[in-house]
Amino acid sequence: MHSEDAVHMVFGWDAMWFAGILFVVTYVLIMSEKINRAIVATSAAALMVLAGVISEQRAIDGVDFNTIGLLTGMMAIVAITRRSGVFQYLAVWATKKVNAEPWGILVMLALVTAFLSALLDNVTTVLLIAPVTLLITEALGVKAYPYLFAEIFASNIGGAATLIGDPPNIMIGSAVGLSFNDFVIHMLPAASLVMVVSMLPIYWVWGRHLQASEENRRRVMNYRERDAITDRVLLIKSLSVLALVILGFAMAHTIGKQPSTIALAGAALLLLLDNLGRKPAKQTESVHATFSEVEWVTIFFFIGLFVVVHGLESTGLLTLVAGEILTLTGGDLTVTAMAILWGSAIASAVVDNIPFVATTIPLIKSMAPTFGGAEHLMPLWWSLALGACLGGNGSLVGASANLIVAGFAERSRQPIGFISFTLAAFPLMILGIGVASVYVYLRYL
Amino acid sequence: MMTASLVMDPHPSVLHAGDTVGQAVKLIMEHRYRNLPVVDEQGRYLGVFGINTLLRMVLPPAVVVEKGLTTAPFVTDGLHDLYLRLAAVEDRPILEFINEDAAVVTSDTPLVESLLVLYRTRTSVPVVEGEERRLVGMISYWDVGSHILEQGH
Repeated sequence: MHSEDAVHMVFGWDAMWFAGILFVVTYVLIMSEKINRAIVATSAAALMVLAGVISEQRAIDGVDFNTIGLLTGMMAIVAITRRSGVFQYLAVWATKKVNAEPWGILVMLALVTAFLSALLDNVTTVLLIAPVTLLITEALGVKAYPYLFAEIFASNIGGAATLIGDPPNIMIGSAVGLSFNDFVIHMLPAASLVMVVSMLPIYWVWGRHLQASEENRRRVMNYRERDAITDRVLLIKSLSVLALVILGFAMAHTIGKQPSTIALAGAALLLLLDNLGRKPAKQTESVHATFSEVEWVTIFFFIGLFVVVHGLESTGLLTLVAGEILTLTGGDLTVTAMAILWGSAIASAVVDNIPFVATTIPLIKSMAPTFGGAEHLMPLWWSLALGACLGGNGSLVGASANLIVAGFAERSRQPIGFISFTLAAFPLMILGIGVASVYVYLRYL
Repeated sequence: MMTASLVMDPHPSVLHAGDTVGQAVKLIMEHRYRNLPVVDEQGRYLGVFGINTLLRMVLPPAVVVEKGLTTAPFVTDGLHDLYLRLAAVEDRPILEFINEDAAVVTSDTPLVESLLVLYRTRTSVPVVEGEERRLVGMISYWDVGSHILEQGH
């Protein structure tokens, strides 16, 4: 970090202390959930700049617009695509493929969730899948809890598999310059392994007891998935653009473009195709509706957070912390990788993984000289990505998707209790991190 | 000033807190009520229970829950499936299903404001009084209509 540019005193305080305290207060307020996280992050960012810890220009430089663009573009694409009914189609189709057998449905819905989470953001995925799950489990006459539990796990595991699956990966990919393909090559095998291993205890605890009558299974088998597609023209447009975007991600490195450019270009193309032939007034209405589905709270949360972390980084505090960590791990790459993997998993189970990763990225970057340069940090990046994404499974507050499912379950009168979920989820998350540790050790250390 | 009390029915049919869904269904279907206020033993207003509540009960929960499915054209449930959902809850108390957030007016609410609430909620509106929210009447389209038409005589 350019600590030589840093301001040394703020309001008579040492800038490092001021930024450190502001950072801790920000973190505590985000965790407390008493104030909306976007308000907390943007207010803290404003304080960083107003207090003079960083200049306005450096604050803007600190915002990772690649992450912001990628998130916004994908949210807009999903907002349009979901109107076609394709996600319900996929869920019902998968359900019928296993003859509406309860355990088979749980596996298929978990796989669909993991697949969609790898390509879309996790919150959107669970918002699409949880209602179909409730519909199917009600028709089957079985409890929704095991299904929703498995979907929470699948969304976080699936999200870990790709660059665009989970915000931590987007941030890491953008900060380190990792491509979509890098994530597929390095994270997909690990995520697949964790997914398979996680399903075994779920089967043992719930799956083997799931039963449904022939009549109820017939009700589900009678569902006409083709009728879920409510707009075939939109379906073709959406899937074509989505396929182009995925292809673009895969080729981004070759064509020298950032993922955000591809996602935003895809969103612009889909908006154009969706609105062709409409009158200007209707176009405005439609574009407004699409943009209103973009999660601006999340976007502004990111922007604020980037500024806060950049301010903290500019004081040199993170370099000091990194030095302490390296002292603790003896500068050993294996020990450091394991410390990051397990530390980020435990932390992500109890705090939001986005601020955690935003803070850890510069921390790891500053370890480069110890390990012989940035190119030797790869095990640490994969450890951070795996820990932060999979750690979200450790408790209900570990990831936004978990809370979304819990809220939905509560409204559906099938509540997911914090304690009961954590008692089952935390050990299962630890199992997943154990698998990830073996993977990281065998592949990179 | 003309208020809600001018156009309300001061003796509306009501459901009681202890009534079951089955009893409510019988009353609503017999008299073709759209919405009935629910009161406790002291006559305090608790919420409303109506034909829309019944419709909600017979539909799959996944389509009526907040942030649930917005469309479900692929679901092939028939009348018997809908009946089974209703039968499953007919012995349950209506209190579990009442709408506590339905718009209400007070007996002092100005006439136009009361009719505006009626216009926006598109169903009969309970009229309550005091901090205890004692039910004192209901405003329906028909009562309002007949009061307005009387002005021509």
